[in-house]
Formats: sequence, structure tokens, C-alpha cells
Amino acid sequence: MKHNAFAAAFLTLALFALLAGCANSRSASPVDAVAPPPLQTQPLETQSEASDASAAMALEDDAWLENDWGWDEDGAADFYVVPDPLEKFNRVMFVFNDKLYFWVLKPVAQGYRFVVPRPARSGISNFFHNLGAPVRIVNNILQGKGQAAEAEVAKFLYNSTVGVLGFGNPARTIEGLNPDRTDLGITLGRYGIGNGFYLVWPVLGPSTLRDSVGNFGDSWLKPTMYLDPSEVFLALAGLDIINATSFRIGDYESLKSAALDPYQSLRDGYIQLRQSKLK
Amino acid sequence: MFTKSLVGTLCVLCLFIGATAAAVESLTPMETVRERIDQVIEILNDPAGADPEQRVAQRTRLWQIASPMFDFVEISRRTVGPKWQAFSDIEKERFVEVFTEFLSNTYLDRMQGEYQNEKIEYLQELVREPLALVRTKLVREGAEMPIDYRLRQTDGVWKVYDILVENGISIVQNYRVQFQSILQKESPSDLIQRLEVRLKEQSPSRTQP
Repeated sequence: MKHNAFAAAFLTLALFALLAGCANSRSASPVDAVAPPPLQTQPLETQSEASDASAAMALEDDAWLENDWGWDEDGAADFYVVPDPLEKFNRVMFVFNDKLYFWVLKPVAQGYRFVVPRPARSGISNFFHNLGAPVRIVNNILQGKGQAAEAEVAKFLYNSTVGVLGFGNPARTIEGLNPDRTDLGITLGRYGIGNGFYLVWPVLGPSTLRDSVGNFGDSWLKPTMYLDPSEVFLALAGLDIINATSFRIGDYESLKSAALDPYQSLRDGYIQLRQSKLK
Repeated sequence: MFTKSLVGTLCVLCLFIGATAAAVESLTPMETVRERIDQVIEILNDPAGADPEQRVAQRTRLWQIASPMFDFVEISRRTVGPKWQAFSDIEKERFVEVFTEFLSNTYLDRMQGEYQNEKIEYLQELVREPLALVRTKLVREGAEMPIDYRLRQTDGVWKVYDILVENGISIVQNYRVQFQSILQKESPSDLIQRLEVRLKEQSPSRTQP
């Protein structure tokens, strides 16, 4: 796998150049149109300390209240959307993923949930979250968030030792050790690079051009990428997906039944979620 | 003696009515949400509701309790967006009616179907009149989901006009994106018709246990 590193770096650079182009021609919608505050989406089995709102936080909250992308009589206020020039292709991928979920992923995850007890599934979820530490550490550094990077390092060391290779998450109860999750897509966003356009990947699901580049870059920081033979990597990736799905059976069905157009609903949900992490 | 006690009773009555009126008027955004949600959870917790026979009755009660919390006209206006102007008065009325029913079906189904001893934690209330934000967290056996309510005050009463999940996904915006793309190609009555079709699709699943 390592001999591919140079090619990967080159490809990443090429995509960066492409993205920069897209960023310039990006639509006029202000990124600030939707401005929820940064509160992490925690990994499973973690607790949030959202109640200790600091003064800085209060300021951001004010901004949020104001940024009520308000509806007014002439409809002047608008909201953030990402162009979708590949909608035809994306819709095909959406249908593919939809079938994949109902025909394969869901039944497998249901069987898995039935066989594997919840504590074991939580442990596996924690384990994979812990393996993502390098991604979060590096990206926090890239975003100039020294404190968050330190917290991630401390959390990684603590959970890998006291938490037995990351299967436990004893750090979750320690204040200050649970910074917001982050990734290269968010780093690029903070650098001012736009989403480019919406993109649906088979299996991986909703993304944008920027987030795809981010994902690709991040993948080099994932320890499982360097496993040999690569079948082991695929097996682990599959386990990660099935394990994560076992906690969320029903969510996708709900989204579908609540939507007039599930494709658009999912697209907007993804964009809003990513946008909220940029704030 | 009699008049005295009557006056006394009247005074107490007046005090009581005054106090009730004041209490209703001064419900803060968080109290507004909490009052309703706690009752909803209570009903969902009632084991009698698990009985398929009781499902429809339970649903009706849930709706009676939950619906006054929401401003469905405001929700409708916001989901439609600028195109709301293109709706005739009758269309507006019909849209609010159909969309309200659509939302109630969708979310009550979900609540009844998926409720598994969730707890709601009320985290924070941010007020800047006439707008407010109430932050809550839904906790379900280890997993948790932030749910925030956006409220607006009209005539002293706070009502919910949007719900944000996962700290940033606005339900109203999500519908707005869908409705706008329909309204770009089709008329308001087409949109209403689409919702009516979905309502019909929903109804069989509703009567089944």
C-alpha cells in the first residue's frame, strides 16, 4: 500500500487545485446563512457537558439566535445550499445505497445486533473511534486548535491503556477530554475552501467534493489502512459499518417516511450537519 | 356572615384566576416545551399504550397534548418560503391543514413506534424576544441526540416553529428544500396534492397495529 503514497499525494494536490477553482466559482449563498454553534456530535456512550456554557459560548449562541435565516415577507433571507450538478448520477447512487441498506446492511446489522450484546457493540464502537484519534489530532493541529489536539492525544493514551486498547471509553467522563470531532473536510472548510458540489458515493453515502478529498486525505492517517493483506482492512471497515448501523436501525427509515423526496432530504441533512460543524 | 364568606370566596377565586392567567402568560420558552414534552413522555410510558387496541386513542391524546406547542401556520410559511405569496388564501389554509396532518402522522408514528424509555434532558434556554431557543437532549440507552426547539412569541405565548436535530439540522429547512424544488416546476395546488397523496399512503400503516 505504501508505494501508492506518492500517487495519492499527487492526486490529492490535483484535487486541491480543482477545489480551489470551485471555491472561487462557488454560489453566492453566504456560508454564514446557517450558523448553529459548535457542539459535538458525540461518539456513542459519551456524555456531553453542554450545560457549562461559557461566556464565549453565550456570544456564539446570540449569533445563532440572530442567524435565524429568517423568513420575511419578501423572502430575502436564504439558506445555504450546495450545487448538485451530478444529481442524475447521485440519484442512481442514492438508489444503490438505499437497496444496499434494505437488502444487505439492515438484515445483517439486525442479525448482528441480535447475536452481539450491546456492551460488546459499544466496545467495538469505542475501539474504532479510538483508532480515529490520529485523524482528529492532526486536523485539530491543522486548524490551530492546540488545546483540542492535546485533549485528543490525552484521550487516546488514556483510552488505549486504561480503556484497554480503546474498547472502553473511560475518558468520556473526564471534563475537557472530549473535544468536538473533526476531520480534514472541516479543516479544508475552515481554510475557506467551499464544498464544491454534492456527491454520493456507493456504500459511503453523502459527501461533497471537499469532504471526499478530506476523507481521502484522512484515510492515510487511519491505522487500519496499513494492514496487510488489505482484506483485513476491508473486513474491519465492514465490521465498523455494520456495528455502527446496529445502533441506528430505523433512523434511515424515519428520514425516508418523513420526506417528500428522500434524496433531497438526505442531501440537505448532510449539508446542514457539516455546515454546523464548521461553526 | 354569609356575605363575608362569599366575599372571601370571591377574593380567593379572583386570586386563583389571576394567578392562573399570570402563570399561563409567563411560561418561559423552556417551560412551554417542558410542560408538553413531559406529558407526551408520560403517555408513551404508560404500558396501556402498547396495546394495539389503544394505539389510536393514545395517538389522539398525544396529538391533543403536543399540538398546542406548535405554530403550524408559521411552520407552513417557513417551509414554503418566499413562494408562500403565490398561494391563494384557500391554498394557504389547505396547505397548513394538510402539512399539519402530514407532520403529525409522521412524527406520532415515529414516537409510538420507536419509543424505548427515552429521557429528555432540558439543557438550556436562550431568549431574545421574540425568538428563543430551547436546547434538549434525548437520551436513549447510551446513545443520545441533541434536539433544539426554536420558539417565537406572539401575544405573550411562546410557540415552536422549528426543531433542530444534531445541533444544526433544521427540520423546517429540510422541508423547505424539498418544497422549493417542487414549487419551481409545479403550482401550489400540485404541492398540496402531493402531500395529500402521501397522507393516503400513510393512512393504511396507521390503522394497522
